[in-house]
Amino acid sequence: MEPILELENITKSFSKSNFTLDNLSFALPYGNILGFVGENGAGKTTTIGCILNTIHKDSGTIRLFGKEMQDDDTALREKIGVVYDGDNFPGFWTAKQLSQVMSGLYTCWDHGLFEKYLEEFKLPYTQKIKHFSRGMSMKLAIAAALSHHPQLLILDEATSGLDPIMRDEMLDIFLDFVQAEDHSILLSSHITSDLEKVADYITFIHNGRLILTASKDDLIYRYAVLRCKDSQFQALDPADVIAFRKRDFQIDVLVADGKAVEKKYKDIVTDHVSIDEIMLLLVKGASL
Amino acid sequence: MKGLLKNNIYATLSGAKILSIVMVLVGIFLALVISPPLLTTFTVVGIISYSAFAVSVVKEEFTSKWGKYKLTLPVMRSEIIKSQFLNQLLWTAVGTLLPAAVTTLSWFLHGCPFDSPFDIVTTFVLGISLSLFMGAVYFPLFHLFFHTLGADRGDFFMGLCLGCAFIFDCIIVSLVNRFIEPGLKNRLLGIVILLTVSIAAYALSYPLTVRIFKRREY
Repeated sequence: MEPILELENITKSFSKSNFTLDNLSFALPYGNILGFVGENGAGKTTTIGCILNTIHKDSGTIRLFGKEMQDDDTALREKIGVVYDGDNFPGFWTAKQLSQVMSGLYTCWDHGLFEKYLEEFKLPYTQKIKHFSRGMSMKLAIAAALSHHPQLLILDEATSGLDPIMRDEMLDIFLDFVQAEDHSILLSSHITSDLEKVADYITFIHNGRLILTASKDDLIYRYAVLRCKDSQFQALDPADVIAFRKRDFQIDVLVADGKAVEKKYKDIVTDHVSIDEIMLLLVKGASL
Repeated sequence: MKGLLKNNIYATLSGAKILSIVMVLVGIFLALVISPPLLTTFTVVGIISYSAFAVSVVKEEFTSKWGKYKLTLPVMRSEIIKSQFLNQLLWTAVGTLLPAAVTTLSWFLHGCPFDSPFDIVTTFVLGISLSLFMGAVYFPLFHLFFHTLGADRGDFFMGLCLGCAFIFDCIIVSLVNRFIEPGLKNRLLGIVILLTVSIAAYALSYPLTVRIFKRREY
């Protein structure tokens, strides 16, 4: 089965900022959550812009539901729910007005479901959005994105600004959403703990380049970090090293197969690695 | 399209509420007194003000993420622009109806408030023409220079476009006065020319704005 979202060699350059999204390729299978990770300015929002056609890519192919989306493919956009970081909707609206506008835009807008989410998120129906806190605005955006029964959710830093309890509730909603086999989520975030909880795949991007894409289980259970002394590091086979970072008295080395490496280098301490540490090693570390 | 129009109406309404209260109060006053200059100003300013509120919605959208969010909705970019043009037409109509009601009331109370009924038509055509020219210039310019100058400069654009609209109208009126002999029939022809040119400019501005907007990145 082809993926719900597939990017092939996407390139986009901005001459003014000298930033380039460089041959980016990854795929999001049906029924999965893909965590899209990278530091600020890495190119996450640009990539999402290219996917949603708010930014015109220079080259490459993006397939949504097996098709390249053009401006007139409104039926495709019916199947996509989007949440941006920050103020998604005009502040002078109320949630009620938002629902009225959305019902005129989406053929499948479910007013009852929207009201259910408002109730669940404890959001007022008739208060102006400009009086909402940042967390409330994000919850409203998530409610709106879910209320037209999309198949694909694209969330750009959607959980930032939410307190840990609310974030946890949101993550549960996302997990519920992907229980349907034809549903998927692209979740851009730098809150890596969220991704550890829900993501099936994680894609790392740095300076507009894809540096790693793997299943979360692989990253957590197969990938490992070696804590080496200088002499131990010199003895490592370069083929085993994905990235390394020198610290005060040790060198941390990211490897793809922790168990194999543990057998191979018995005198080196091997630790499990968190998504955060992988990101730090990939971004701040070097490769051989 | 229905949702886009609702969106634009809500947005314009939020700004036009206070204007409407002021317009109604001033309108009642003007219906009670006899002052052709004030009634002329009220009519032209009324039409332009409602129209300007409708046009300024574009700026409001791009100072939040809503302008970008709209591009992810199941609507085409050309429909977004179409809804902005239709919204301005709608509010120009609203801005026309209120002074029309006041003028009618004044006529009912005191007789024709101007020297001739023809002056009423001239006043309304002037207001409508200025509004259409303002929109015709504003929409393409805003989308063209949004990235360079930022959405916050929307009010500056508005002033600039209104200035341009006045210049256009002055040029057309000057040309009409120069090439058409005085007389009622010819004055009527002049009004028709003014209205036709402003409608044509507005109609031409739409495909131009769509073309610009389709290339924009947000």
